[in-house]
Order: sequence, then structure tokens, then C-alpha cells
Amino acid sequence: MESNKKYWKGLEEYKNTPDFVENNKNEFAEPLPIEDVLNEAGLSTVTPRRDFLKALGFGLGAVTLAACQTAPVHKSIPYLIKPEEVVPGIPNYYVSSYNGQSILVKTREGRPIKIEPNPNAGAFNCGTDAQAQASVLDLYDVSKLKSPQLKSGNSLTESNWSKIDAFVKGELNKAQASGKKIRIVSSSVNSPSTKAVVADFISAYPNTKHVQYDPISYTGIIKANENSFGKAVVPKYNFDKAELVVSFSADFLGTWISGEEFTSQYIANRDYKSLAKGKMSRHFQFEAGMSLTGTNADTRVPVKLSEEGPALLALYNAVTGNSLAGASLPNNTTADKVIKLLGKELLQNKGKSLVVCGSNDVSTQILVNAINSAIGSYGTTIDLDNPSKRYAGNDAEFAELLNEMNRGEVAAVFFLDTNPAYDITNTKSFTDGLAKVALKVSFADRSDETASLCDVIAINHNYLESWGDANAYEGYYSIVQPTINPVFNSRQAEESLLIWSDNPVKEYYTYVRNNWEKNILPALGKEWKDVLQTGVFAAAAKPAGAYTFSQSLTAVIPTIISNSKALAKDIELQVYESIPMRNGKHANNAFLQELPDPVSKVTWDNYIALAPKFAEKLGFKEFDIVSITDDKYTIELPVLIQPGQAQGTASIALGYGRNKAGKAGDNVGKNAFPFVSFTNGTFKYATTVKLTGTGKREELAQTQTHHSFEGRNIIREATFKEYKKNPAIGSGNDHAKHKSYDMWDKYEKPGNNWVMAIDLNACTGCGSCIVACNVENNIPVVGKEEVRKRREMHWIRIDRYYSFNVEGGEDEGAHGSGHGTHGSTGINAVTKEKEIAHLDNLDNVSVVHQPMLCQHCDHAPCETVCPVLATVHSSDGLNHMAYNRCVGTRYCANNCPYKVRRFNWFNYWNDSRFDNYLNNEFTQLVLNPDVTTRSRGVMEKCSMCIQRIQGGKLQAKMEKRPLKDGDIKMACQEACSANAIIFGDGNDPNSEVSKALRSERIYYVLEEINVQPGIGYMTKIRNTDTTVQA
Amino acid sequence: MSGHNESILREPLITGSDITYAKITDDILMPVENKPNRAWWIGFILSLCGATLWVVAVSYTFWFGIGSWGLNKTVGWAWDITGFVWWVGIGHAGTLISAVLLLFRQNWRNSINRSAEAMTIFAVICAATYVVSHMGRPWLAYWVLPLPNQFGSLWVNFNSPLVWDMFAISTYFSVSLLFWYTGLLPDIATIRDRATGVRRKIYSIFSFGWSGNVKTWQRFEAVSLILAGISTPLVLSVHTIVSMDFATSVIPGWHTTIFPPYFVAGAIFSGFAMVLTLLLVARKVLGLENYITMFHIESMNKIIILTGSIVGVAYITEFFIAWYSGSEYEQYAFINRSTGPYWWAYWMMMTCNVISPQLLWFKKIRTSIPATWILSIVVNIGMWFERFVIIVTSLHRDYIPSSWAMFYPTWVDVSVFVGSIGVFFTLFLLFLRVLPSIAIAEVKLLLKSASEQAKMKQIKEGHLDKEQVAEYVESLEKFDSVKQEEYAKI
Repeated sequence: MESNKKYWKGLEEYKNTPDFVENNKNEFAEPLPIEDVLNEAGLSTVTPRRDFLKALGFGLGAVTLAACQTAPVHKSIPYLIKPEEVVPGIPNYYVSSYNGQSILVKTREGRPIKIEPNPNAGAFNCGTDAQAQASVLDLYDVSKLKSPQLKSGNSLTESNWSKIDAFVKGELNKAQASGKKIRIVSSSVNSPSTKAVVADFISAYPNTKHVQYDPISYTGIIKANENSFGKAVVPKYNFDKAELVVSFSADFLGTWISGEEFTSQYIANRDYKSLAKGKMSRHFQFEAGMSLTGTNADTRVPVKLSEEGPALLALYNAVTGNSLAGASLPNNTTADKVIKLLGKELLQNKGKSLVVCGSNDVSTQILVNAINSAIGSYGTTIDLDNPSKRYAGNDAEFAELLNEMNRGEVAAVFFLDTNPAYDITNTKSFTDGLAKVALKVSFADRSDETASLCDVIAINHNYLESWGDANAYEGYYSIVQPTINPVFNSRQAEESLLIWSDNPVKEYYTYVRNNWEKNILPALGKEWKDVLQTGVFAAAAKPAGAYTFSQSLTAVIPTIISNSKALAKDIELQVYESIPMRNGKHANNAFLQELPDPVSKVTWDNYIALAPKFAEKLGFKEFDIVSITDDKYTIELPVLIQPGQAQGTASIALGYGRNKAGKAGDNVGKNAFPFVSFTNGTFKYATTVKLTGTGKREELAQTQTHHSFEGRNIIREATFKEYKKNPAIGSGNDHAKHKSYDMWDKYEKPGNNWVMAIDLNACTGCGSCIVACNVENNIPVVGKEEVRKRREMHWIRIDRYYSFNVEGGEDEGAHGSGHGTHGSTGINAVTKEKEIAHLDNLDNVSVVHQPMLCQHCDHAPCETVCPVLATVHSSDGLNHMAYNRCVGTRYCANNCPYKVRRFNWFNYWNDSRFDNYLNNEFTQLVLNPDVTTRSRGVMEKCSMCIQRIQGGKLQAKMEKRPLKDGDIKMACQEACSANAIIFGDGNDPNSEVSKALRSERIYYVLEEINVQPGIGYMTKIRNTDTTVQA
Repeated sequence: MSGHNESILREPLITGSDITYAKITDDILMPVENKPNRAWWIGFILSLCGATLWVVAVSYTFWFGIGSWGLNKTVGWAWDITGFVWWVGIGHAGTLISAVLLLFRQNWRNSINRSAEAMTIFAVICAATYVVSHMGRPWLAYWVLPLPNQFGSLWVNFNSPLVWDMFAISTYFSVSLLFWYTGLLPDIATIRDRATGVRRKIYSIFSFGWSGNVKTWQRFEAVSLILAGISTPLVLSVHTIVSMDFATSVIPGWHTTIFPPYFVAGAIFSGFAMVLTLLLVARKVLGLENYITMFHIESMNKIIILTGSIVGVAYITEFFIAWYSGSEYEQYAFINRSTGPYWWAYWMMMTCNVISPQLLWFKKIRTSIPATWILSIVVNIGMWFERFVIIVTSLHRDYIPSSWAMFYPTWVDVSVFVGSIGVFFTLFLLFLRVLPSIAIAEVKLLLKSASEQAKMKQIKEGHLDKEQVAEYVESLEKFDSVKQEEYAKI
């Protein structure tokens, strides 16, 4: 009911007087004297004092207001029409794939900022490697070209696509008309669509041939399988089915074929879940240089490069009972002994073992096939029917191309995803030959070593800007979809080829879709939409056939023996792919340059690795620069003393020494590709060199400079044999612990209690987590000079410790790591610096990798000493760091027993001395907007990805449900192929982490100082059996 | 005090045969009332160069960041906190001399307390500069003060020894300044009374209207005693708290309960050494041999032997406890100190602090001015190394061997330290020019009782035991300011 009350403002209104009625019509009760002021008289009146003050006040106020400009105006333009799927602050994920790994690309406000493994990939979700994690930075690389380049006169200049298309088509028609050859040179292509584009191109220009060339070649394996079984493929290896793994210099956990995938398979037989079932595989490694895989082996035997062939022959003899000649290892009794015992063990494990070899020599790989056939690997641990498609390079075809170019038979050459001017052994032959080619086109994104010699640089998209697909294994397809509009004026290489071959379909997206809808999807019974959502499709695997090796070895043995003899002189040099730098393609990626090598912990450089005793014999000390010469090439590199390196050998990493990579990657290290040789139809990564001292010295930038753990119980290990008797052995859980007393109040953790468990048996030390953490948490890259000053900023690091096994047992003054844990474990290693100095034999080295990050101690020593409460404890068990409150006394870092706190010594993002990373607005687009960037003078450290915890909580809240175990994953955990990092809520007894922390193997690093760390480590278990102990 | 004669066995505190009250005033005010001599100018210019270097180095640090120092992820403190503790330690002697010795009625302090206190104040200023400059964001240094703020309930962390440190140092500085200035009042008044023109006006303001009547003197004495009472605990507390910066941590080599007494002894040790370094030069250049006598020098040397030996025992105790604790980290920390990569720093410390002061047991050495001066500098070098050893060698190899690292100073580290010495001497030399370097009023107190003249008068009166007189005369032989021939007659 409406109120009929009436309010009146005065008696006049109440009475409604005529005056009121009259006045009420006007806006103002009294007329304003505007007329008076504006008329002549008004203007001419003398300004009274009050008006003067009013004018003055107004004037001052107006001027002040006008002068009040807020902070500089940035041109942030809101969406005029907001895209439906973009919500500021909410990330979008797109499936894609990188180098055979199925990934999710996290984008924020249209910017790709993080790569994560694709959980939909099922068995093919094997985590991501460091390259995949770091690849997002390549998108924001300022060293890339902004538009395509066309040669005018003697130099390449910026051009546009129509000019380039006209030029290339003209030249192609000329080439075709002249009848000369057209060549497309690329690294291995497994993308079905790219293959189809190339095929279409070839049908348009029939003189064309596609040459696939990989700087790190697997031609040896492909040819050997062709020879042995008639299948020219890289097989699918099943490390998960192998209970006994034997590797001859194959770094299968790192760089060999697909490290992240093999890691995930290999660890399945060694991690805490497998150990809980009482199962652990055994792994033997025979190699010259210390590889990541070698550091994880149960038994690692250093063998010279020249001994590899004889060692394989010896193993062949041992498993088959044959007595082939040349199988003797006169100078390596250890290897000889181990191989004899290993032969027996392989036969006991028939069908459950796997022998792999890193050699690219066809004969050697044929011998390996014979061994694998003898131990029944085919059909079980080796699958030839669902082969890997990652590598298809043919070294001989590429060598022939060089000849064709030099003979002047090639009229046009296209370089797709390849850079031979940098990574071939004979650069001169390549450049001379290239000069004779009329049309040289590169699809590189920058003017790299090869592209700068070309007539056209048709800059390709970054893969995050591209459409595409991949076919890493037979029957396994994944999609590549763009996550951002092309940043620069680039065009996808495939699209360029389509245009130049006048294909009816010019748009590559349409081409890919047509190709899938026509050739791939019908067989799978799926639609294009499904592809975009799940990203991967795997057809049912074909049954793996059991192949038997039935060829004669008589042809290959002389080659193996002569190869071995050729290497047995001077110093045997191995050139290898390093984990951070791989083949050098991503040399300009600052994250990768600063990723420490998992074994040597060196960043921003390559070096020549020599065994300690061997270096001593040669008279070189660590960091001495030596000159390395074979008959045609010489470089100077600093020496790195590498325990475990075979005596008489040296190792140098490939992938360094680029000079046209960009700001970060130029002139980092030296190029070792010229040491690669081409013999017997394949590239060989071994040669012999002479070393001479130069008298110069240069300290390498290592993130770790002390390499032994000094018998401290921070590392706890045991053998598998002991573990089977007592799972708590070595962990300190096998006896009563000291009672601890506490002066402190206990923190109440009513909601969640975020804790972590790290399985030292699973961690291989690959470093993928380090890069994942860098990207997720906007961690600055500091450069070589600062790393050398021990100022790298990594929040998670992997501590790598060497210990030396002595023969003869306990009475030799060796203090095992069991020393500190009171448990007498069978591991009998020398771990103290001063004792190591007195050892005669440093070849038998064991390695342990320990990921170290903020332990989020409940009694955190950092928290008590901060004068301003910048670091405090949260009610969910985390140690918080309030950057804005930090004044930078660094007391917390001093008082951290784990030394995981990192100080911002400079303004890394705004200081011209750190030009290799964030010092430009473009690269800053890679920053994760959920994580504050830190200014100079503040401390930082692992936050347990607090932004992810918060994000997970909010997501659960929005969905009105409690948090589930696994909702929140740390960046490091997600990237880990080995599942070595387990994170979760310790208050939930059923969470994965709670279960893991109840393991008997769990111990806490430095628990005796009662800082109550939140991260439990599981003991390192080594499957060393005394009968085959090296 | 002057009512009866002092025992003849006591050595004179003022030497010279023609000392009068007027002469004392003239002698002490000579540098204040006259133009500076060449020696002062040379010293001042050198010090000013040092101070400029400090300004350059600190500005460089502020501009580019702490990264311009040699610190790293493992060693977060090095020359900065070494310098800080070194200066605070030096600042200890002043209060000890002025307060503790006053309470114990040690009259010999009267000649040296003024300079020692000035030294204290300047040393604490040098230390305080490190507190600010070592911070990553020095412009926020005031956040360590418990100031009311608009950050909500954000307060300082009263658990943090750095907060205690801030309280300790600021209290110490203010009390020292107050004590020093109170003592200066009668002397400033003396200068005022003798000055003319603008100088008179200035000194008149700073003398706070000192009238010199009996009531004023009585109150002056009372205030001095009260301030001495307040200062005495501070002598112990300041360095105790500084030592807790280390002792409350978990780092092996820092985490030690012995630190408070050991640090206090070390501080007194270095403080007296610095007083000697300064006054041995000042007495010569300013002609104050009659007031700062061999007795003073020898007394201070004795304190140096005592405190140096305490420090030595502390070093050995640390080793014993490290062994006895059975803690491998603790044991390693100490083995590493003496035999690790920084062994030279450790043995430098041992030589300078423990071995060389033992030379002072020899009377010849402790009464030799050149030897004393050199030893006083050696002690301060040793004390710098002590702090370096504690800070750097403990940090550089602690629990987790993967993080072990070395510390290498940069030019900025060195310049900030050398520059702080320049700042210190600049302030000290300016002090010598504007204020009396010896407490005039307090020295005058001693003239009638404890001076060589008064003793001579006693001897001449002839009521004394002959043996005692002989002993007294013998004790005068070491004095470089006593005319020995006058005693030959007796």
C-alpha cells in the first residue's frame, strides 16, 4: 500500500502561497546576478578583494589539477569486442606438441607462458624435457627476424612476401626448366602434413628430392635394422619391460632418441612404487664420458671409445657362447670381468633385458641387434613393428647432396629446420657448394649460420604460432595448434612451400585439417574437433613381432675391429650432445644456457672433460685452457676434471660455439661439430686428438663447486639386496630416533599442510624441473659472469655428489655414507674430499642426484632472524616470502642450512649488463603474471608455487567442492618425467604424498638440527650385486 | 682527594716539574686555539681522500646494487659485517674507560677518556654506516625500527637479533654521546672564556651556559656518576648482542654460547689497541707527553694482554667444544677454519691476536712506544681477521657441501672498508681541532695529588720511607717525559 504521507519543506509550501508557487518555477530561489556580471558595467567594476581571492583560488586550483598527471599513461587498450574465451586472469590451455612430446600450452591474455605435459596423452605422457619447458622463451626471442629477407646485391634486406614469392617462383621455374636438381634439406620430419606438403611440392617440381639430415644422427640404427631385419626404422624401445638394461654409451635417459620417454619407462622399474613391490631393475653402463645415464647406472664401467667394439664383441661371445676374434679387452680388466658376468645375467633374464648402444656405426649396431636377438629382446623390450618416427635422417644422402652441390648440379635448395653451415663436419665443402646453387632459401626464424648465406630467409613461425602435426610413433598422432597470432611478419614454412608449388590449398590450416580428415581421422573414427581438444590419437598398437637375427657377422666384425684400431691412438675424443644445449638449435635460449649440465654443473660453456688421473698425467689442471687438434681442426677449451671419464679419453659437448644464434647464444663455448667424421656411410662422433697446453686459464661457470658429500647423512643410500631384507635400511628409520625437545610452539595447520616427497631413486638429475621452475616463477637468468660468482637464481637445484667405490671393503679407511645414519649399509664409498685426494683409482665413481629446494621448515631458521618479518610461516605449512617487505639484510640466506635462498644482487630485468634475457619489453611478455617479479635487493626462494596452490583452491571453491589430491601440482613435479617429486596435503592421510611420506625410505635432510623440514627424501637404492660388482 | 697525600708508591699521572693549572689549559688547548700544523694537514688530507673513496664506493653500491660486492648465494655477509663488528668492537674502549674506570676510581682514565670516547662515537658512526649500506634496499632501512606505520599491524620481528642489534647500537650511541658531551661542558666553557668574537659565541652556545659555580660542579659530578652507572651495563650488552647476530643462528661456527663474553673481551681488546694507536701519535704531535704518560701506556698494554689472553682461551675453547660436541658439522667447521681454504686468515688471526700480544709480558716491549704502537696496529689487524674468520669461513662451508663456495672481495668491498677508516680519521682529526683532546677539568684534579710535582714535593719534605722513594724513583725510569737527571741527585 502506497504511503499517502506528504512531506513539506516549509510553511510556504504547506500553505502554497502565491510567492512560493512563483518561486518554485525557478531553479534558484533567488535570481543569479549573471546579467550584472556580464554586462559592461559588471566587467568594468573594480575587482573586490573577495573576487580577487576567488579568482586566485580558482586559478591555483585549476592549475594544480591540470598539473596532477597520474603515472605515465601506458597504452593499454581494452578489448573492443572481448573474445569469448579470454577472461583476464584465467589461463587457457591448448594442446599441442613439441618434438614428439604431447604438451599443453598455458596462455594468459593471449600470451603462451608455460608448457605443461598433456595429461590426455595417456601412455605417451612422459613429462617434458628441459627443451620443451624452455621453448616458450624462443617465441619471445628478440634476436629473431621481424620480416622475411631477400637478397639484394650482396646483402639480405627486409622484404615482403609478395616479392619473395615472385622471386622464389621465378627461380624455381628456371631451375625446373634447366633440369637441374632442387633439394629440400630438413631435419627428420615426422609430421604427416609436412610430408604431404613436401610430396605435393615434389609433384609440382619433379626435380625435387627431400633430404633429411640430423646433426645428431641415428642413421646407424636405421641402416642396421634394415640390414638385419629389413626394416629401416628406429625401433620402439620398451625400457619398462626391461629388468636388466645394458647401455654402451647410449645416454638414453638424456639425449638418446627420446630421453624423457625412456626416463619415464626406466623409472617405472626403479621408483618407490616399484620398490614397494620389491622390484628394481638393474642397469649397466659402459661409456667413455660420464653421461646422465651413466650417473644413474647401478654399475658403470668406463671404457675407452676404442674398447667399445671389442666390449660388444665380448658380450656377444658371452651371450651366444661363440668365440669371435677381437673380443679381448687387454687393458680393461674390469670391463672384461663385468662383461663375462653380465653375459650370464643376460641369459638368465632372457626376454626381460635390453642392450642399447649409442654408436652411429652400422656394423656396431648390427652386432647390437645380434646380441639383442640372442637375449630375446625383439617382441618384448624392442618393438620393430611400432617404430619411432622421430629420426629418419640419412647421412649418406646428405653427403651426396654436398657432392651434388659442389658439382654444380643443384639449382635450388631449401633449408627447413636445419643449419648445416653450423653443424656439419666440413663447413667449407658446404659453403663452397652452396655458393654454386642459384636459389638458396632458408626457413629459419633468424639469420643463422646457414640462413645468412641464403638468398631468401622465408621466416617460419615459432611452433607456438603454427598449425601442424606430429607422428612420433607408428600409429600415434598429435596436433600442433597455434596459441598466439604470429608476432612478426613470418609465414609458416609449409605454407610457403604450398604457395611456391601453386597448391590449390594455400592455407596450411586447411591443408592440415584436410589431411587429417582424409587420411588419419577416418581410421580412428574421430572428428577434427576431438583433435583440437585431446591433441593426441593413438591407434591400437600392432603386435610386436619377435625377430631373430639370422645374418652373418663376418662382414661387420672387421669393420668394428678396424674402427677400434683407428681410435686407439693419441687421445680418444668423444663429441656428444649435452643435455642443456643438445644440438645447438636452441643456443639462444637463456634458460637452457643457464641450465647446469646435470653432470658437470657447468653453465654457459662447453669444455673438454678429462679423468682426474689422466689430466694429472698430461699435466693439466682444472680450467687450464688446452688446444685440441685433430688433423684438420683446432679449438681451445678449458679442462674440466670429470671423475668417471675413461682414462685416455676426452669428451666435448656439441651445440656450442654458435656465432649467429643471437644475443644470448653467440660465442658461448666452441663448436665441436668439425670433429665429427663421415666414414662408412654415417657420421661418427669419435675421433682422436692431440692436446697441448696454452698456459691460459679460464674458470668455468659452475653452479656447484664441491662435489663430494663428506660422509654427511644428507645423502642416505643402501643396496637393493639390503633393502629387500630391511626396507628402512640406511634411512635412519631402522632404529630408534633421538627424542627431540622443543622450545617452540607447534604451528597449528587446521586446513592443509603442504608437503613434498622426493624419490632419490627416481630422480635422474635431468634438470627439466629447473627450467619449469624458471619459467613458472619468473626467475632471472644472470649470465656466465654472475654464475661464476655463485649467484645463479635457481629456486630448485639438483645437487650432484660423487663418491668413489674402493675395492677391498671396509678396512680400507673408507667411511661409507651409512656412517652418519648409524645403519651399516653395504655401500662402501669414499665421500670425503681429503680422503678422495689420497685415492689411486678414481674410475669407479657413484653418483647421486638430490633435488634441493626450500624445505619449508616448520621451525624455519630464516623466519626468526628476519628483522622485518618479511619471511613468515603460513598456517598451511609454507614458508612465505613477502618481497615487498624485504629490506635485504641477507641474514635469512646465511641462516638457511640448505642454502636455497637467492638474493637479487642486481635489477636483472633493467640493467644493460644482463642483456641476454629480460632486458627488453618483448621478452618480458614471457613473464607469468601470477608471480611478482622481484626488484634488486630482495631475497627470493621456492614458494611451493603458491600461485598454483591459490589457483587450485579457488577453482575448487568455484566448483563448490573440497580440494582433491592432485588438483594442485608444482611446476617442477609436473615437468618431471620420472615422477620423482610428489606434492600434496600432508593432512590428508590418503593423499599420494602422505602415502609416500610413510615409506620406510623417507628421511629428512638435516633433521638432526630440528628445523623440521617439510620435504622428505627417499633413500637412494643401488642395485649392485656383489657378484658383479665392478 | 687533595686533602692528604697519595702514596709515593703510585706512579705519577702527570709528569713535568713546572705544571700549573694555567699550563694545563694552555697545553691542552694548544691545537684548538692555534692554526693546525703540517702534521695535522697531512693526516687530514689523507683521511679526507679516504672519506671520499668511501663516498664513491657507497654511492656505487647504492646505484648498482649489492652485487657490486663480492658476496654470493652462500656467503651473504663478508667484508660488510666484518667491518661492522670491527668498528663496534673498537667503539668499546671509550665507554669502558669513561664509565667502568670511573666507577672503580681509576684516576688514570682522566687523561685518556675524552679521546677514547670521541673514538667510540666515531667508530660507532662507521659501524652504523655498514648497517645501512649492507642492506639490499637501504632506502627502507627505517623499517627495522618499530615505528608506527600504515602497513596495518606490521611490526618488527622482536625475535630477530638484528632488531636487538639496532636497539643496542642506537642506545649505546646515544648514551655515549650524552656522556661525552656532559664531560665536555666545563672544557667548552674554558674555551669560551678564553675565546673572542664568533668563536666565543659558538662555544658559548655549546657550553650550555656553564657558570662554574659550586652547585654546577656538584651536579656535574652527580650526572657523571649516574651516566657512568647507566653506561656500564652497555659495555657488556652491546657486544653481547652483536655476538648474538651469530650465536642465535644455526650455522656451525656461529651457533656458540661462548660468543657473548668472548666478543666483549675481543671488543675491549681492539678498543684499547685503537686508543693506543691514536694517542701515541696524538701525544707526540700535540705535545701532550706530560698528560698521557708511560704509566697510561703501560696500563693499557696490560689490559691488552689480559683481554688478548681471554680471546685466545676462547679460540681454544671453541675447538675443544667442537670436538667434545661430537657434531660432525661443528667439527668440520673448525677443522676447515684452521686447515681449509681460508687457513691463512685463521692463522693471521691467531698470530695477531693471541701470539703477538704475549710479547707485552716483557716490560721492555710494553714500555717501548714504537713497539706498543706497532703491536696496537697488529692487534686491530688480528681483530679484523677474527671477524672475517667467524663470518666468512663459517658461511662458506656449512651444512650442504653442494653449496660450498669461496668469497672474493671486489674493489668496492675494499674501498668501503678503507674508506670507512678515512671517515673515522677525518672525524677524529676534526675533533682534535675543535675540542680539547684531554679532559682539562679532570686532569686538573690530579695535579695536586698524583702529579710528578706533588710527589717531588713529598720527597723533598722528607718524611717518606727511603726504600719506597727508591722504588718510586726506579719506576720513573721508563717515563720518556721525566727528566731523569733530577732524580739522580736523590
